[in-house]
Amino acid sequence: MILWQLLTINFLTLTKRIEWKSVFQHNGEKHFILNTRYIPMATLWLVIQREFLSNVLTSRFIIGFIICLMSTAAAVFVQVEDYEKRLAAYHTAVQEHQETARTWDLYSQINPKAHRKPNSLSIFNVGMEKSGADMVSIQLATPIWEKAAQKHGSDNPFLSIFLAIDAIFIFKIILSALAILFAYNTISGEHEDGTLKLVLSNPIPRDTLVIGKYLGGMLSLFPMVVISFIIGILIAYASPATDFNGADLFRLVAVLILSLLYVSTCYLLGMLLSVWTKEATTTLILSMFIWGILTILHSNMATFAVMKFPPYQPQAEKEILQHIQQRWEDFREERDAYVLKKWRYEHPASAITPISDGNFLVAMYTSSPEEIGYSEFYYIKQIHIVDVSKFQEVLNYQEPLRIDYANQAEALLKRKEQVEERNRQFVKGISRFSFADAYRFAVGAITDTDRESYQDFIRRARRYKRQVVDYLSGKNAFSARAWFSSDQGGAELIDLPIFQHPHNSFPESLSRASADIFILLVWNIVLFIAAYVSFLRYEIS
Amino acid sequence: MIWHIAKKEIYYNLMTLRFVLMIILLPILMIANALIYGFGDNGYTAEIRDYNRKVNQGRSHIEKYAARGLGELAMVGPAEIPKRPPQLKFCADGIDALIPQSITIAHRINWERPEYEDLVESYSWRELWSLEYLPSNHGDDATTLIKIDWVFIGVFISFFVILFTFDAIAGERVRGTLSLMMSNPISHGQVLLAKYLGTFFTLIIPLLIGILMNLLIIYLSGNIPFDSGSWLRILGMIGLFALHISIFIFLGLFFSSRVSNAITSLVWLLLTWVCLAFIFPSLLGLFVGTLDPIPSMERISAEKRLQLANIEDEFRPAALVEATKLSEAPSVDNPSATRLWATYFRERSEVQTRIADARVDQQLRQVQLACELTQISPTACFQYTIEGLANTGIVSYISFVKQVRRYRNTFIDFIKTEDKSDPHSLHIYPVREGLSQKPVDPETVPIFKERISHQNAIFPLGLLILYNALFFIAAQLSFLKCDLK
Repeated sequence: MILWQLLTINFLTLTKRIEWKSVFQHNGEKHFILNTRYIPMATLWLVIQREFLSNVLTSRFIIGFIICLMSTAAAVFVQVEDYEKRLAAYHTAVQEHQETARTWDLYSQINPKAHRKPNSLSIFNVGMEKSGADMVSIQLATPIWEKAAQKHGSDNPFLSIFLAIDAIFIFKIILSALAILFAYNTISGEHEDGTLKLVLSNPIPRDTLVIGKYLGGMLSLFPMVVISFIIGILIAYASPATDFNGADLFRLVAVLILSLLYVSTCYLLGMLLSVWTKEATTTLILSMFIWGILTILHSNMATFAVMKFPPYQPQAEKEILQHIQQRWEDFREERDAYVLKKWRYEHPASAITPISDGNFLVAMYTSSPEEIGYSEFYYIKQIHIVDVSKFQEVLNYQEPLRIDYANQAEALLKRKEQVEERNRQFVKGISRFSFADAYRFAVGAITDTDRESYQDFIRRARRYKRQVVDYLSGKNAFSARAWFSSDQGGAELIDLPIFQHPHNSFPESLSRASADIFILLVWNIVLFIAAYVSFLRYEIS
Repeated sequence: MIWHIAKKEIYYNLMTLRFVLMIILLPILMIANALIYGFGDNGYTAEIRDYNRKVNQGRSHIEKYAARGLGELAMVGPAEIPKRPPQLKFCADGIDALIPQSITIAHRINWERPEYEDLVESYSWRELWSLEYLPSNHGDDATTLIKIDWVFIGVFISFFVILFTFDAIAGERVRGTLSLMMSNPISHGQVLLAKYLGTFFTLIIPLLIGILMNLLIIYLSGNIPFDSGSWLRILGMIGLFALHISIFIFLGLFFSSRVSNAITSLVWLLLTWVCLAFIFPSLLGLFVGTLDPIPSMERISAEKRLQLANIEDEFRPAALVEATKLSEAPSVDNPSATRLWATYFRERSEVQTRIADARVDQQLRQVQLACELTQISPTACFQYTIEGLANTGIVSYISFVKQVRRYRNTFIDFIKTEDKSDPHSLHIYPVREGLSQKPVDPETVPIFKERISHQNAIFPLGLLILYNALFFIAAQLSFLKCDLK
């Protein structure tokens, strides 16, 4: 309490409206008020202080605080464990891949992989981290498709039937409820108790009262958010697996600020309803109802309805797959026609001609027709008795063509993905109206765990595939003997590009989150103005 | 007197804002559910069409291979086994997207290595079929998995229960009517019961109306066929709604009489509700990974590779082709070679089956443990019971897996008995050449039939009833102890 008084005094001296002396001389409560009568800043401070104390000393503050703290800690703890597992799985997968990569000695054999590194910020906001695939296998003539990407992280995919609860989910649900519970009786409660009349009979301007009540309420919610958040960070930090760098800390601070903004929106909503209704119970019921709709119902309803009645119809998957198979037929026809016309061979393998006596065998493996890609491997037995120079020419023609067809197939799949993405964006657009979801999206963008960053991974995997193709064509690998045989030295793959997936930079993430941050801000401003204006016009009976 | 208080309670509730809000929201949810599941895209009709297509594919698959002879059929096995889509998915659909809807059959085809043609007789073979439990792949944000099904509506109603009960006792105490009421010749228990009944009826009647509207729309849409069994199950679900609501009423009455003012009671209730409905079921579910860890995927696949390599080294060492035991291809005229191949195939298949089965068993055991842990939340119990009745959810998948395995044994037994009846066969399982080469009548080949049992619903149902009793006692005790002023 003494500390509080001192703080108050310091604040008041800072505002230079009150002198140290007078306060010290008359440290009694009454004189204090008298002194501050004509000083708006001091009055404001008094209102804030009163609101703060009336919140902090209630049982709801203590219960809310404990529950918020404990559930955040539990959620972070569980997610840290999960993150450790995913990270270990990632490292094993990368290591295994490196080992396999060392055994490649043919250019046609390479199968680089794009692994997605788990994001340490997913401890706070899981988002797409666990449900999305984390490995894309790069095959030159297989289109990269989101659906065909694989998961290696999860030891038990069935466990994903449980909702992925993280700190942000807890904030979204519990903090918003607490904010509303703090705000519901700010005006209507006082009105019912009759204290509002008493307060306003003092020379306190109404605007000071509204602002003071808002700031006081926020001040009491502030420690809850900050302490829960810090405890969460500490738990995450205690794990040896996490390595937060400076940028991550910036992101976490941004998340903290967003959380405060979100809490403020909820508080303002409660206050507005408190001004609009005369009875505290009505305010409570109404605000809890709106809370339920905005935090839980709204986005789920939107997601679900759009999933069942999509506004944009993507092409049926079966049709696309048939189309792709058709394209591969076309590829074979085009290639065979060209090979026949240019070199007069029935089949590429016919380009292999014997130079001395003896049996030789060409084995060819092609993929089954159901696959979206088209792989073709040649194996030539007794290669020393055959001439492959023509065959190399044929390969130099056919392999780029095959890759080109794969790119066309990829374009088809991408078009379907884009339509599906438009549906998702549509859902997002609707969900955003609820500030709870705007908060979720903004945090997702900042922690880089949302759908966009997942798609960024797929995009990068596609780009990586192009890099690998460029690398191979730069080395003239398609016409190299090492494409199909290692008898005269295998493929040199030391400088094969490695997949890299850097996170978006912080400003990029911030700009991606900007729309949602803007929505949160607009909500705040609108609600504040509404509460402010309504209270100015409030009739005290 | 009880009825009198209950009636007063109902009248009072009817006049409140919360009732108005509920009477608006509940039908909206129910109608949305009906529209989405009754008319929505990829609803039951599409699913059952897909299922029937797969069943027909399975039948023609068996016909095709049965005509090629028993030996061929024995190696290929049945086609993909689909799980029958549940009719009552609109009641409990929450996690169905995450649960595989079929068990596939793995076929591995091997070409003989051409390098050693002079040492090894060339034989292209197909490995014995085995069950493959592929996880379903979905790519959506994990927090948006909540679906508007009956389970979700049930959870939302429990939220309303809280809004109705938080001031049931505390409010009366503040208004001073509690002591007035208690001055009548009436016991504490009776007052509590009357309060309970009053709230229960205010909630259950709008719910029943909502359910009727929902069923009417779904019925009129004609997309989901109902038989007497499903009506009975729906009736059971309504009973579950009642049980679930009643638990939360007791909980509300407990807190309401425990604490001095209504708002504290609401804070307690709200946080308890959030914990019971969302946080416990998820956190405990995820916590199982730490509590009962299973070996990682990498370790399992390494083990599998090692065991297969051992068999490979024993029968067909790559380094020492001369030492291969399988230098001769199996044929009807060469029983000893056929027997060797049979041992090779059997050992490989045993390793694969054992590891795949053990893997999925471990995973499912872990999930089951998680489900059991989460049952400390009545909401989770409510969900599992409805899932048990609707035959959705993880438990139905577990029973599906068991039945498919039983079917695997039936299929193998069928092959063996059928083989015994052919005197020309070598009776060596599992090699194509060691078995009867005669075509099989496809009608006699056993086909998979899923039997649906609702036994899984019994345990959570018992828990729901237990929770009712527990919370009733808690509410009763706390009301007995509470101050009237």
